[in-house]
Order: sequence, then C-alpha cells, then structure tokens
Amino acid sequence: MPHIEIDGQAIEVAPGTTIMEAAESLGIYIPFFCYHPKLSVAANCRMCLVDVEKAPKPLPACATPVADGMKVATASRKAKMAQQGVLEFLLINHPLDCPICDQGGECPLQDITMGFANPHSHYTEEKRVVEDKNIGPLIATEMTRCIQCTRCVRFGQEIGGIMELGATGRGEHMAIGTYVAKAVQSELSGNMIDLCPVGALTSKPFRYKARSWELKHTPGLCPHCSTGCNTDVQSLGREVLRVLPRANQAVNEDWICDKGRYAYTGLQAEDRVTQPLLRVDGVWCEASWAEALDAALSGLEQMIARHGAGRLAGLISAQSSNEELLLFQALLRGLGSPHVDHRLRQQDFRADAAMPTYPALNMALEDLEREPVVLLCHAFPRQQQPLTNHRLRKSVLQGGKVIAIDSLRRDFNYPVTQLVADAGADLALYEALCSQLSGHAEKADAVPLAHVASDLLAADNPLILIGSALLHHPQAAAMIAQIETLAELAGGRVGWLAQEANSAGAWLSGCVPHRLPGGHTAPAPGLPADALWDADMRGFVLLGTEPGVDAMRGAAALAALQKAEFVLSITQFAGEAKQYADVILPMAAFAEGSGSFVNNEGRLQSFRAAVKMPGEARPAWKILRVLGDGLKLSGFQFNELSEVTAAWQHAIGDYALDVPPFHAFPTLEPVPEPMSADGLCRLGDWSIYQGDPLVRRAAPLAQPAVAKMHPDQAKALALRGDSVEISSHCGKISLPLVLDVRIPMGTVWVPAGYNETAALGATYATCAVTMATLPAVAASA
Amino acid sequence: MLSEKSLAEIARERAKYPADQARSALLAALRIAQEEQGYLSDAVMEYVADLLGIPAIQVYEVATFYSMYDLQPVGRHKLCVCGSVSCFLNGSDAILQHLSERLGVGLGETTADGLFTLQEVECLGACKDAPMLQVGDHYYGNLTPESLDALLAELRGGADDVR
Ligand code: SF4
Ligand code: SF4
Ligand code: FES
Ligand code: FES
Repeated sequence: MPHIEIDGQAIEVAPGTTIMEAAESLGIYIPFFCYHPKLSVAANCRMCLVDVEKAPKPLPACATPVADGMKVATASRKAKMAQQGVLEFLLINHPLDCPICDQGGECPLQDITMGFANPHSHYTEEKRVVEDKNIGPLIATEMTRCIQCTRCVRFGQEIGGIMELGATGRGEHMAIGTYVAKAVQSELSGNMIDLCPVGALTSKPFRYKARSWELKHTPGLCPHCSTGCNTDVQSLGREVLRVLPRANQAVNEDWICDKGRYAYTGLQAEDRVTQPLLRVDGVWCEASWAEALDAALSGLEQMIARHGAGRLAGLISAQSSNEELLLFQALLRGLGSPHVDHRLRQQDFRADAAMPTYPALNMALEDLEREPVVLLCHAFPRQQQPLTNHRLRKSVLQGGKVIAIDSLRRDFNYPVTQLVADAGADLALYEALCSQLSGHAEKADAVPLAHVASDLLAADNPLILIGSALLHHPQAAAMIAQIETLAELAGGRVGWLAQEANSAGAWLSGCVPHRLPGGHTAPAPGLPADALWDADMRGFVLLGTEPGVDAMRGAAALAALQKAEFVLSITQFAGEAKQYADVILPMAAFAEGSGSFVNNEGRLQSFRAAVKMPGEARPAWKILRVLGDGLKLSGFQFNELSEVTAAWQHAIGDYALDVPPFHAFPTLEPVPEPMSADGLCRLGDWSIYQGDPLVRRAAPLAQPAVAKMHPDQAKALALRGDSVEISSHCGKISLPLVLDVRIPMGTVWVPAGYNETAALGATYATCAVTMATLPAVAASA
Repeated sequence: MLSEKSLAEIARERAKYPADQARSALLAALRIAQEEQGYLSDAVMEYVADLLGIPAIQVYEVATFYSMYDLQPVGRHKLCVCGSVSCFLNGSDAILQHLSERLGVGLGETTADGLFTLQEVECLGACKDAPMLQVGDHYYGNLTPESLDALLAELRGGADDVR
C-alpha cells in the first residue's frame, strides 16, 4: 500500500485513493467546489490544486491518485499561488452579489474566497451574464452565479437517474440549464440545491425568507414514507422555513426527496386549525379546550350509551408517532370498540391473519443496494419510497437486476424488466408466473414471463418485495398468497415495502382491528377500515386523517361520516373535517411535536419538536391522554412523553428486525373478479404528492389530477379533445385526459388522493369513459 | 420527421457502436438531420434524442457545443470566419467587419435575401493561410478585402458551394 506524506504527515492508504481522500482522512482541508464524494470526479473547477513534489505543475487533489512516496504540500507557495489564481478566474464572471444572494452565509465560494483568495483582481472588463430559465416551482435559478462545477448535472445523471440539466454552449458561452424552458421532474431534484456550491440553484419556496445563520436547526424525521429519512428542520421563530437532509449513511445517505423537502410548505394552509372547534346547531364556533373536551367526552359517552361501543370506530394516520398510535388504540379498546385501523387505502382484508407482525423490509436499506435479483410486486418505490428506490437503483447500476410486476408500465429511473397485467388480471399474472416457475406451463407461449421465471430460478435466493400498492388491489389477499407460493418456487425471500412513515409502528402498536400492541391476536377482532363505511357506525374518532381523500372509497367514507351521530376529529387541518365532525381538536403538525417512528427496516428513530405549536394546538398524545383520563380509562396516567415512550417499549417489547413475511393463510373466500366484460378497468394510486394531509397542501408540489389512457384506447373509444367524463357504478367525474402508452389497453388511470376523483370509488372497478359534454355555447357553435 | 434515407443513414451510424453507447452516434445523427432539415430545431433535436434513446439535454449539449451545427435557419451560404489566435493575429476582425459592412448583417445574422449567414468559428486547422474562412466544404485563405469581394460576387453569381 502506498505510503505518502501530506503537509509533513505520513499516511498509508489503499492504492487508488486520491490525494483529496487521503487528506480528508488526515483531517487536512483542501478547498474544493466540483468534488463530491457521492459523484463522479469531474475535476473541472481546479480549486483543489496542490503542490506535489517532482510534479512540474500543481495537480488537482480530487483527481490525482496517490503514488508511493508522494509528498504533497497543500499550503506551499506554489499551492497558494494556484489557489489564488483559480479563485481569481472563478470570480471573473461571478456577480459578487452576496448581499442579495440566498446562498450568502452558507456559500463555499464565499468561504473559500475569504480563506484562500488574493484580495485583488486584475480583471476590469465586463462580466458575462447568463439568462435564467424557469425550471419549475421548486428551484430558483440565478445562472450568472454558476461556476460550472457540473455537480447538478452529475447529480441528475448519476443519482437522480434522469438527466435534465446539462451544460450547453461552449467556452465563455457555456451555461448550465435545461436549454428549453421546462420544470425539472426528478423527485430528488431539491438535492441539487444542496449540492450547488454557489447561489445559482436555491430553494424557491425559501427564497428571501431568512439568512442561514438566523435559523434554528432541529434534528427531524421525514413523515412522508417508510424510508424514514433523517432531516434537519430549520426554523425561525415559530415558522419552519426549510427542511434539509441530515446525513445518515444507513438510511438516506446525504439526500431527501422533494416530498420530504417541500411538504412543510403545507403548514401554512388556510384550513390549519389552531383553536378547538365545536359544531353548535350546524355552525362552527371556536371553543376553549375545556368546552371542547367536555363536548368530546359527552359526545362519545352519549353515543356509546345509545348504540354501544361496537358502533364506534377509530381511524388513525400511519404518520402518527408510536406514542400516539399506542394511546389511540388504548382509547378505542378501552371504550370497548374493537374497530381500530390505519389502513384506509386497502380494500381486501381477507389475508389479515396472514400478515406479518409489521411490514418489514427484512433487511437493512444499505444491503438493498447489493441485491443481485429483486422482484417488485406491484411496487413503484420511485414514487412511494423515493430513497429506498435509490438503493435499488444503485444495485442495478452495479449489475443487479430488477423485475417489476404491475398493472401498468412504470417510469422507473433505472432499467427494469416489466411484466404488465392485462386489464384487471393482476392475480392471473402472478398465477401464470407461478406455473412457469413450477414448470407446469408451456415455455413458449409467454416469452417475457418465461424469461422472468428463468431469471428467478437462476438467482440464488432472489429478493421479492411486496409493494404498498399491492394492498390496494381488490384481490390483494389472493395475490399475497400467490406471492408466498412464488417465493417458495423461486427459492426466494420476501420483504414488504411499507407505505407510510410509521406503517410499521401502526402494526406494532396494535392499530389494526385484529392485533393488539406487540402483534398479539385480538380476542375479538373489529372491522377493517373499508368495512366501516357500510357497517352503520354511529361514532368515529379520527386522528390525522381525511378519509374523504385518504380512504379507498372516499365518497362512501364521507357519506358514512356524515351519517354518523358523533364524529371527533383530532387534526391539523379542518377543511374536510368540517363536513362531518362535531368536535375538532387541533393537534400538533409536522415539526411541532415529538415522538418516534419505526421505519421499513424496523429502525426505531425519534424526533423532537422544532417549533412551537400555533395557537391552541396540542400534541396528539396529550390530547389522547386527557381524553383517556376524562373517560376514566386506565393506563392514561402520563405526564411526560418519555413515560408514554416507555409504555410503548414495555407494550411492544423487543420486536425483531426480521420477521416471518407471512403467518398462516386463512381460507380465502372468493371475491368477484374485478373486471366485467365491458367497460374499462380503473387503475389508480395515490400520486406522489397527494398521499397525506400535509403534502396535499404543499402548493409548490401540487400537480393537477389528470386521467391517463393509451392513445389506441382513446382512439378506439373515439375520444377527442382533452377532457373526459369517467363514471363508475358509484359516481361520475370529469378530468383532463393525457395519452400515455404506459397505460395498458382496457384500462384508464385515475389518480386517488384528490377531491376531484374521490367520487369514483375504489380502484380496479369497472368504469366507462366518454367525451366530456361541452358547455352549451361551444356545443351549439 | 426525417426521411427514410436519413433514418437509414442514422441507423447505419448507430450500428457502429456498442448497444449501450448510443451517444457515440450523436454527432453523425445531428449532421444527417441538419443536412436534411437545413438546421436543428428543438423538435428535431428531441426527435434525435428519442431515436437514440438518450436524454434530450445531451443532444442540446452537443448541438450547442459545435459551431458546425445551426440552431437557427441559415442562409444559402454560411460564411464561417475563423476568429482563433492565428487568424485573429492576422486580422480576422477586419475580415469580419468587412463582410459585415458588405452584407449589412451582424454576427449570426442572415441577409434579407437569404443568401448569406455570417458566423465566427474557432480554429479550423488552416492557420498557415490565416486569416481564413470556410464556406460549405471549401476553405478560403489569405483573405483580403478584395478577395472577399470577389468571393461574394462569385457566390452571388450562383456558385454552389454549400452542403
Ligand atoms: S448551477 Fe451550481 S451545481 Fe450546477 S454547475 Fe453551476 S455552480 Fe455547479
Ligand atoms: S424518501 Fe420518504 S422518508 Fe425520505 S424524504 Fe422522501 S418521503 Fe421522506
Ligand atoms: S475539486 Fe478538484 S477540480 Fe474541482
Ligand atoms: S486560427 Fe484560424 S485556422 Fe487556426
């Protein structure tokens, strides 16, 4: 191994190590701009020039591998002259507009100039100016400040997996941008802001809000998917001003996705509740906590007295903390109701008994990037778990193979072999794959299927991941059972891609109708979420959820809630709750509360409040405690959050990180085939930025709802124009239509999570698509 | 968007490179597209990107890098005056200015009759004849105002030198 010396310090490093890396391990700082440990070496900024003995010219530390006996000086006269020269050149065209630049105070160019530059410049000529292009609502550009380090370009190519920014033009005319004005699409785009060493790319929503040194940093956790990215929540006073990644190589490395980065903007939504609200004679009035709690307690007590606790149900968001989940189910069960659930998007619960103790990946995220063969079952992690997806992408770049089975062709950001089911025939596809694997089917008749089968058989213990979207299928139970068979036939192992930040915690904490905390079987199981809408429930307790858009059958949920006698909604936002609730209790939102989540790996992580709650909002765990106390239930005597956490740990015990992916399957009662002969199969899932109350309200992320259909299908239905009417047995909606060859024939894609699409009911149901009736004037013209 | 003939030529270029190196065929594909279309519009560049299966931005990068690609419609004759060191030291500025006055257009502009476009380009490897310019496939060296006027007259007279 080469022995080298940097600034007189000797070190032995592995061959191939660069001078930059060797210096880093010695704790010697070499200034740099274009170098980044997670990106390829471009060596174009030249800031890292160092003086290497016997080399005639200074060499770039980031791109020069060490050689035995090398003696490097990072601060010799020659090195300093090189650094000063490079900085002088970099600043020739830099506007030096620090006072009006958002990067000021956290700018490597500013810092390195202060530390290494010669204070005088020879340059007196004009500076060049680069025209800005609008690249969407998330990233503000000021391209005159760009120093062409190409970190953003390399990020798109190497990490984001879609190259959107590039360097166009040449020499003095080189500019970084999209060339044609368009919004960047990558779900990881915000990371380019962090990478940009100058103020060329900054956060648009954060623009001119604060200086970096004014901000308070609080370690946070992203509540928007099961990856559990670690964040740095930055706030000023009572306002969260931005969310940045907090490096954790085992979880999110140095990144977060745009959902995690920008969802905080939803905190400012108009319908944020900050005061308890009571419906008095049909009119919403602000109330004190004492009045509101009284109303909540007596509402619950009266409802139970009249109809029995069996007519009360509780639904909680899986973005809730472990502490909240534990207390929530204790409240419902304490009152005598077995109906507790968090799985609002699911429609088939026949396999409940077979479900694992919690949806566990059954491996570390880091190991995912070394998997040679992965089969994704109705999983599109690029939208659902963006940074888990990044691990899979890395495995593919290193030669791994990912195969996906789904209802439509997905837009992965790495090569994936995709098997797409015929309209509504998802279960049949799994069955067909199983018969290929068992050698029962003729090899020739379905070539892609046969290829996939032989890939799986050839692999040593392939990884089979069940996606969160699989659970949304009306035949999910049968599909899961097929996957168990499939895993056996392929000799593979199974992991679950959990949907939400604390789906794992919700299962562990007993927020499912058939399991108690710790995964123990409930003696008298209650009804699952979707069954509640038709079960004549008279009372509901909701926490952090908006069933109108969060539930699989939004319209049915709204109807059931409106019909109920008493609805208590503990929520951050009142918009939907005002349609059906009787009492609304304002709770702490993202960054305002503390608690813990269990991520997809089973990793227990905690977060604490970054800002004070607005107005009279309270942490949900406190609200639950007061309710439990007021209802004279046992097990609610807590003063501090830490006591609830301890109770959680006591109730759950030491849960395993690897859990059996299935328990024994019950006999599955047959359900009707989703597709009838005529009509289209309605595909759809919660869009990336529609999945929870906060992100839905994040204006910079908003994407309008559109229906998608294969161009040939549209032609077959003689659909012209850009707007269509879609009707199912339960409702009718109209949406703009986008043609997309990824949508199979016989289907139409209508996203869920939107008010506009809730009326259509469950996904995979039959529906009809017709041209939207034109407004009268246009029609007569 | 492109003719069968151009598509076949591009396919032939593409076949020269390994399956995962579509980018290598880009220079040729753009040249073929430009020869057919006269210049590279955004739509043509996107089309070529799809054809090769590479991101559109990579096509823009290359197309904007080389002065031989035209991103705007150009005149019948493209006067590409070298402005690099040797030519500059031998008076390329005066050459450009002379042409600009004679034609009544600035750099990158096309005369109203659609005959000439004036461009400045980087070293064309003909430094021994500096100052020089290129029109179509021909180099003209040791330029003087007189030789320029003669050249313009010849081209105006219908000499076909272009593409
Ligand atoms: S925009 Fe920023 S990250 Fe991109 S090349 Fe310019 S300075 Fe580098
Ligand atoms: S990947 Fe998931 S946890 Fe990470 S930032 Fe995005 S939504 Fe949040
Ligand atoms: S950091 Fe080494 S050249 Fe840019
Ligand atoms: S400098 Fe003009 S041809 Fe080389």
